[in-house]
Amino acid sequence: MAVALGSIREIEHELGQLRDASTAPGAAPLLRTSVMTHIAWVPERWAEQARETLLGLAERHPSRTILLFPSPDEPDDVLEGEVDFRCFVRGGHEKEVCSEVISIRLCGRRSAAPASVVVPLLVPDLPVFLRWRGPLPFGAQELEQMVDVVDRLVVDSREWADVRGDLARLPELFHRVAVSDIAWGRTLPWRAGVADLWPDVRDAAVLRVAGPEAEAFLLQGWLSGRLGREVRLEHERAGEVELVEVDGREARIGRLEPQTSSDLLSEELEVFGHDRIYEEAVRSFSSAPT
Amino acid sequence: MTIFGASGDLTQRKIMPALYALAFRHLLPESFGVVGVSRTEMTDEEFRERMRQAVIDHARDEFSTEIWETLAGGMHYVAANFGIEGGEEELVAALKDLDETRGCAGNRVFYLAVPPEAFDDIVTAMGRSRPANGWTRLVVEKPFGYDLTSAQELNELLRTYYDENEIFRIDHYLGKETVQNMLVLRFANGIFEPIWNRQFIDHVQITVGESLGIEGRAGFYEKAGAVRDVVQNHLLQLVALTAMEPPIDFAAESVRNEKVKVLKALHTPGPKHVVRGQYGSGYIEGEEVLGYREEADVAADSQTETYVAAKLYVDNWRWADTPFYIRTGKRLPKRETTIAIQFKRAPHPPFEADLESPLRPNVLLIHIQPDEGISLAIGAKVPGQGLSIRTVHMDFVYGGAFRIGLPEAYERLILDCLLGDATLFTRADEVEEQWAIVDAMVAPWRRDRPHFPNYAAGTWGPAAADELLHRDGRSWRRH
Repeated sequence: MAVALGSIREIEHELGQLRDASTAPGAAPLLRTSVMTHIAWVPERWAEQARETLLGLAERHPSRTILLFPSPDEPDDVLEGEVDFRCFVRGGHEKEVCSEVISIRLCGRRSAAPASVVVPLLVPDLPVFLRWRGPLPFGAQELEQMVDVVDRLVVDSREWADVRGDLARLPELFHRVAVSDIAWGRTLPWRAGVADLWPDVRDAAVLRVAGPEAEAFLLQGWLSGRLGREVRLEHERAGEVELVEVDGREARIGRLEPQTSSDLLSEELEVFGHDRIYEEAVRSFSSAPT
Repeated sequence: MTIFGASGDLTQRKIMPALYALAFRHLLPESFGVVGVSRTEMTDEEFRERMRQAVIDHARDEFSTEIWETLAGGMHYVAANFGIEGGEEELVAALKDLDETRGCAGNRVFYLAVPPEAFDDIVTAMGRSRPANGWTRLVVEKPFGYDLTSAQELNELLRTYYDENEIFRIDHYLGKETVQNMLVLRFANGIFEPIWNRQFIDHVQITVGESLGIEGRAGFYEKAGAVRDVVQNHLLQLVALTAMEPPIDFAAESVRNEKVKVLKALHTPGPKHVVRGQYGSGYIEGEEVLGYREEADVAADSQTETYVAAKLYVDNWRWADTPFYIRTGKRLPKRETTIAIQFKRAPHPPFEADLESPLRPNVLLIHIQPDEGISLAIGAKVPGQGLSIRTVHMDFVYGGAFRIGLPEAYERLILDCLLGDATLFTRADEVEEQWAIVDAMVAPWRRDRPHFPNYAAGTWGPAAADELLHRDGRSWRRH
């Protein structure tokens, strides 16, 4: 087993070594490619899903990826880093394109100051995306620091235990960072289906959603925000969105292609600026009655 | 080579590993010998053993007993006190002995790896006892004075006994491969020089960042501060190399003449164009670190700056009105030295209205440390529907392109000194011009007491440094 790297300097050194070693003598160097720095904050219970997502992602979004695994309960305040190259053969080309993956376990008190760990490792001048796995700990030092060093925060409100409460607080971050929500991405075909009900939807009073809480609330917030008035939500729990009705009229959508977690995250990584419609939906939701 | 300060940290961490690397590559002459000098009593054997350990600990090559024994065979030690009359006699005798036993022919390199307070005694004593034959070169480590007056005094002292072409002032930044490569980039590639001017370049940013604190050097740092430790030498040298005109050749005098012209043309920055800072406590790599005033042996009300940013102008035809923003600091988020040449935006991009976000300007980034190399940021269309443009980097990384390890700066500089090539060393007039600029920068500081600390460790410096660029509608590039 490789020895864990205990400092940023060691991580940088190892990256350089890997880069050198990846070039065969006399051959052209491998193409090391980054269009962003992609950070993932991955508490232990999300580690496996995060790795699976990453496997499906790098080819589409060649990035320097920094996986942060907070382990605040570890007795020693240390960093344990590993670096790796993920290489992909591009179709029709002999050359491989490689991306760097840096995994860092933040042990003990090191997990409370993650920004000071990632900032030295950001690729200069490129956008920085942060995928925050699990609930957002509003007000906690680790989230506060990270929000200030990234351009875009990607969450999946489906992962939150208190969706309503967290959505209500999410607008606190909108003036500091652009926010994407994977659950919001999943509602896209349903929003299109509801929009197809125009003009009748103009007078909508009740939105009925059978699906996860997150998507139901976001659809409610979206419709309320778009109409400029409150729409009542009737919600039935389900693993995926199965039904959306507006005043008893079903929103029809085409056949949904199954999307992996990598597909969903990939779509969010395409987006740069603020998603004003999403922000409006969340704000609208946060002011809606329970 | 006589190393004054042979028991010191610099000798063990830099000079001796560099000599070993040169020996490893068979770049030292057969007659090469080393005489270590300091006040500490030590035998030749003890000195050799100490240097052997230094090589094992700090050299970039594997330890070879054969190479070491060749190098150590010419290694001697003399304990000397130059503060007393005749303190140099034992050393002079040892050097004469080496001339006879190893055939050094009176050729001398005196390496002053000692604090500046010791310069006077050593330079005077050794200057008076120069051998009649052979050449002599004097290597001087920074600081080259504390201000313009002291720098002039030092230069006067050195020139009492040595010609300018015998004096080799080391700024180890100039020995770095990427710094030299910048000259190659500019003057060996036809595409850059035509656009290397005010018409195409919006501004230049030079950053010398350190994540470390003062590492127990409070005695030195409290007197020097960031401006004397880094701005006066490394940063102004990088400005000069970036802005200089093409030299007629790569000879020492040609290159240094062009650098001096830039330094002479630097417009003295007014107080509004200089920002200073001092770090408070904060986080580095997830670990809480002390503020500067809490460091050992630092005054609790210290006014020493650990950060400096400035806006400089080079008042000449090429660079008029093109700002050079420079900054350096301790306890910044990362160790990084970069020169960023930011070009002007495309004058009329036809697709601007269709873009999600405004086009970013091209930036040529010269990485001096770490990750030595050059990258060019360009806008590229994201494949697929619509017109989405993203900034991508074309990277040249030394490690990936050339499969040889980069030499340490000291290796290159010591070898150049042995060969008598002073191109990468700082000339007296350069030093004095640099001090003149620094003196002007710090003069207003005597009149005020800034509110320190004004930036947290682990951040990119005080808010006023951001404001320095925001006033011009610019911002520090993102690291």
